[in-house]
Amino acid sequence: MSIFCLGVNHKTAPVEIRERLAFAEKSVPQHLSEICGMDEISEAVVLSTCNRVEIYGGSETPAAALDKLVEYLIGHFAVEPGEVEFYRHEADAAAHHLFEVASGLDSMVLGETEIFGQVKKAYATAQTSGTTARRMNKLFQQSFTVGKLVRTSTRIQQGSTSIGSAAVDLAEKIFGQLDGCRVMIIGAGEMSRTTAQSLLSRGAKSIIVSNRSYDKAEELALELKGRAVRFDDWENCLDDVDIIISSTSAPHAVVKHEMIHRVMSGRRGHSLFLIDIAVPRDIEDEVNEIDNVYLYNIDQLQQIASEGKARREKQIAVCRGVIDEFLREKGIEALAGLPDGRGGSGPDPILTETAARPLTNP
Amino acid sequence: MDDLYLILATLAFLGGFILAAVSLRSERPRKQGVNIPIAAVGLVFQSLFLQLRGEMHGRCPITNGAEVLVFVSWSIVIMYLALGKAFRLSLLGVFTMPMVFFFQLFAIVYLLAADPGPRPPAALDPWLELHAAMSLLAYGAFGLAGVAGVMYFFQDRQLKSHHPGRLFYSMPPIRYLVAALVRLLVIGAVLLSVGIVAAFFMKVVPDRGHLLISGAVWIVYLVLIVVHFIKRLPPKPLSFWAIAAFAFALLTLSAL
Repeated sequence: MSIFCLGVNHKTAPVEIRERLAFAEKSVPQHLSEICGMDEISEAVVLSTCNRVEIYGGSETPAAALDKLVEYLIGHFAVEPGEVEFYRHEADAAAHHLFEVASGLDSMVLGETEIFGQVKKAYATAQTSGTTARRMNKLFQQSFTVGKLVRTSTRIQQGSTSIGSAAVDLAEKIFGQLDGCRVMIIGAGEMSRTTAQSLLSRGAKSIIVSNRSYDKAEELALELKGRAVRFDDWENCLDDVDIIISSTSAPHAVVKHEMIHRVMSGRRGHSLFLIDIAVPRDIEDEVNEIDNVYLYNIDQLQQIASEGKARREKQIAVCRGVIDEFLREKGIEALAGLPDGRGGSGPDPILTETAARPLTNP
Repeated sequence: MDDLYLILATLAFLGGFILAAVSLRSERPRKQGVNIPIAAVGLVFQSLFLQLRGEMHGRCPITNGAEVLVFVSWSIVIMYLALGKAFRLSLLGVFTMPMVFFFQLFAIVYLLAADPGPRPPAALDPWLELHAAMSLLAYGAFGLAGVAGVMYFFQDRQLKSHHPGRLFYSMPPIRYLVAALVRLLVIGAVLLSVGIVAAFFMKVVPDRGHLLISGAVWIVYLVLIVVHFIKRLPPKPLSFWAIAAFAFALLTLSAL
């Protein structure tokens, strides 16, 4: 009995293909029982997210099981033979792949943590459906250990990778927990909405939205569970906010140095974080010179995000080293007891990856 | 033997600082809490040094500048071990170690160059011991407040520059730094007040200069705290005055 993995992800298939192959959450148990109904497959777990569709399984004849699975996917999903390239991994390679997935190394945003929860959920669904046994249980449990180890013993999660996350990270370095932070949005654009949502997801409270068109401000305020204020009234709210996101289409500065200077004199030492994502810029540069005021424009946030991405990419090798070190010590438990001696503790696991190959007519 | 203990303590703090600096530059994150056992080892050697010096003098070992520096360092380490974890300020130890190292390096140089030797033993007076212990613990809290002030300036500079370095992500938020700084100032002021009150019960009344200097330090910190609570000093001047006040307190110690 060995293990295998078949799948597509954001690197190997465009979204048009991935969305056709995606398993609807409710239908996963049904598919799992159909997959395990095949003679060649005894265990199965389906991992279906917006960036990947993967099936992990246990089989006496993994190569035949993989062919059968390809047939199954073509039969059940609207993909044509030759239209998609599935990657196929067996034994150590399948385990290695799952370990990298759980560690966030195979994610679109390197090191992101959401995938860890998604892998856990996929495993729980398979367990509830009764399609896991010894191999899959060992494999997934070990993947959780590896995922946690990689995140705690490397810097893969350090640094921001998007404008939204850069804004949130900076806000947390100023205010700590964002629980009590009050946010004001000037200009109800898409970027403001995304950035505000990032801040809300970390606990920021009481969003105030102001826009030249009051209807749009109300609409966004409703969506973000905040309140709208008229555009000629936003200055009066400055005293009550900690974070300002500005993205109007005004051709001149909307937030001026004197305005913030006056506001800061009454804030009794409380910091103010300004995020200017407008082009041309909404906030005068000199505002950053005021004590306890931190101003970031879109280029500066983008720069932080780019540096964060580069830093995470440099960490991939470190993370792989951690996984290899772990496997040298522990071995792949799901493969323990195989006649060829793979798995268990011992020397370096030999990768037996089957190269990704185009789907041929089965 | 006392010199050896002092050198070992100093090496421990130097080692802790180097270890932290290396791990901050490393691709792998530093292990949390590594500074705690290193600081504890340093504290043990500091304590042994102070004990031997105390036995030699037959009184609290603050008879010369070197001993005072070691005693203040000892207090800072005690405060760090007692409060550092509670304040949840990562890298507090990393910023504290070099300061303690340099204080002790000065002490070593001083003692090796011109150790004044034993002083005549003082009459046993628990009020004197309480005065000295509380006052020096207060200096430990003030020292740590100064460290928090330095950390604030460092983090503020990183945020203002728009190019946060690697250390930025390991540093605590500036709001937490300021909150910890204020708490340390208050703790220090309370301890120093107890120390000063104890001085009034001592068998031998301290000389006028000693009283004036202690009073001056007490007033400086009291004014700083009162002004902060009344006017809510912004973080930058508050941090600056916490550093300046500690520098002043150290200068007064050398005069005692």
